[in-house]
Amino acid sequence: MTASFIKNSDFAAFLTAMMKAAPVYGPVAKRSRFAFARLEAPEELRLDYDVTILPPKKLFFPPAQDLLRFDSDGFEAALEPEEKILFGVHFYDVKAIDQTDLLFAERNCDINYIAHRQTTTIVASNVQTVSKRAFFATVGADVPAKGHDAALTSIDDGYVFEPLTARGEALLKFGRFAPATEAQCRGADKVNADVLAECPEKLEHGTAAIATKVRAAFKDEELWSQLAADCFSCGSCNTVCPTCYCFDVQDTWHVDQTSGKRTRYWDACLTEDFAKISLGEGATENFRDERGERFRHRLMRKAVYLNPKLGGPACVGCGRCSAACTADIADPTRIINQIMAS
Amino acid sequence: MSRPKVAFFDFTCCEGCQIEFTNYGDVAFLELLKHVDVVEFREAMSEKTTDPIDIALVEGSFTREADRAKLESVRERAKIVIAYGQCATTAGINALKNHQNDYKEFVYGDDAGQANLASQKALPISAAIKVDYMAYGCPVNKYEVLQIIAHLLHGKEPVIPNYPVCVECKRRETVCRYDEADHCMGQVARAGCTAPCPAEGIPCEACRGFVDQPNIRALEKVLVERAGFSQKRAAEKALMFTANSLEATQ
Ligand code: SF4
Ligand code: SF4
Ligand code: SF4
Ligand code: SF4
Ligand code: SF4
Repeated sequence: MTASFIKNSDFAAFLTAMMKAAPVYGPVAKRSRFAFARLEAPEELRLDYDVTILPPKKLFFPPAQDLLRFDSDGFEAALEPEEKILFGVHFYDVKAIDQTDLLFAERNCDINYIAHRQTTTIVASNVQTVSKRAFFATVGADVPAKGHDAALTSIDDGYVFEPLTARGEALLKFGRFAPATEAQCRGADKVNADVLAECPEKLEHGTAAIATKVRAAFKDEELWSQLAADCFSCGSCNTVCPTCYCFDVQDTWHVDQTSGKRTRYWDACLTEDFAKISLGEGATENFRDERGERFRHRLMRKAVYLNPKLGGPACVGCGRCSAACTADIADPTRIINQIMAS
Repeated sequence: MSRPKVAFFDFTCCEGCQIEFTNYGDVAFLELLKHVDVVEFREAMSEKTTDPIDIALVEGSFTREADRAKLESVRERAKIVIAYGQCATTAGINALKNHQNDYKEFVYGDDAGQANLASQKALPISAAIKVDYMAYGCPVNKYEVLQIIAHLLHGKEPVIPNYPVCVECKRRETVCRYDEADHCMGQVARAGCTAPCPAEGIPCEACRGFVDQPNIRALEKVLVERAGFSQKRAAEKALMFTANSLEATQ
């Protein structure tokens, strides 16, 4: 599909027309940070955001999601997917969504994710501001960003809009687009290439070398317990991660004690009880009892274990974990570079 | 468990947690009464009981040896004992006095010498009797209490979080206090409250106590390095609701 161009002066009208057709979710300011939220007015959209607190996966896999409602007669699915447009996703989050798309669809297909995903049109946008902890240029560099419906890049006086699917192309009708010139397309390519040089942090080695050496460090208990010495087991490095997908399921009863609902919540493997399992008859065992074991598990998941399945690391270099960790020990570049240098 | 007999007992506390039990709203409260038989609850009724009970909700700290017999009698009569509120689970705010010696003069002034004001160290009720479940919070989270009761009614183990407030704080996408040059104790505080304080721009004070294994050393380090606290202030910060648990971790 060929690229189109829309002038800055026509952009608000484009957003407004889209918002009339379907709910549009995009990055908006939240106090000193940014978050994906439903746009109420076109001027709320902040395409100059650096990174959002939570990744856009929350639209398909909400932090708390009702799965079913029950009463004395039986149960029914709580799923109510809405047609929506997710607008302004950075390419690293596009890559992460591509991963969760695969993980939730394989084997026992997770309809509660897939239904929300299938009703969403995703428009990517270029990274205009690089966050303080980003390293997206050097992690899984050969993994393409795919699965989105269109890509938007801000150039001098407007935006180059490249539809990638029929759904993406369908958005053209909402704005005053003209075919993009070759110069405008080249300008957009340059903008997207140049930003890669701006990452403040970087991995010093490639995916395969990292996977081999990090795996080899598995048994170095002293290393992991040192790395995790200041760990709170707070799970923030999991809960903000765009590629984490673990959840816990709980039932709650309404006060009538017969009706209620089943809800799933984001879980986090760094928390103390994540790996606590029942051995029957009231006995339990925690197979990752130590902070160091849990800390190691996340890193193995991000840099080693899932690589064969995903074709690259389960980390897209957004830097959210690095920034969210109040002890500042979660930064994958620091951990991996230290292991690689040893 | 069908329509269990439920009774409230209070020891050293403000009784605010009991008041929470009356705050469900008329409709929900009347519905709840169809499923539990409240036999003693001095906030809302004058009847008292000496009969066996199914669920005892015990509020307040154990601060006088004289209360031990009363606690033991509750334990003997009750199938299930729930420590109800932070004073009961960890001794809560009461335990602040364990680290002071002039509190009586400070609080009671000229009356400080009265015999009825004498008390021992403030302790959780688990220091006197076996406790089956904990309803944390200052005050309790009334919705969590409802779920604890619902689980017991259905013969299930109540689910009481042992992960930090940060988990719930992140789930609601709150801007972290540390990103706004503030401090917070959510990293060591027990979740279950849905993290309302950081969402309002206020640091978490760990009013539900700590998780089972709080990393207090790391908390002090973060309070000093990221929030600019003095070492002394950082070390004392965690005392407000968790003085006893802090001692236990050191
Ligand atoms: S590494 Fe940091 S963010 Fe992750 S659990 Fe530990 S303290 Fe929390
Ligand atoms: S591990 Fe950290 S940097 Fe990597 S994708 Fe997850 S949050 Fe982003
Ligand atoms: S195991 Fe841990 S790192 Fe992996 S998806 Fe689950 S929470 Fe995330
Ligand atoms: S504001 Fe407090 S509770 Fe929330 S993430 Fe930050 S440290 Fe944790
Ligand atoms: S956020 Fe902290 S202080 Fe606030 S209710 Fe929860 S535990 Fe208590």
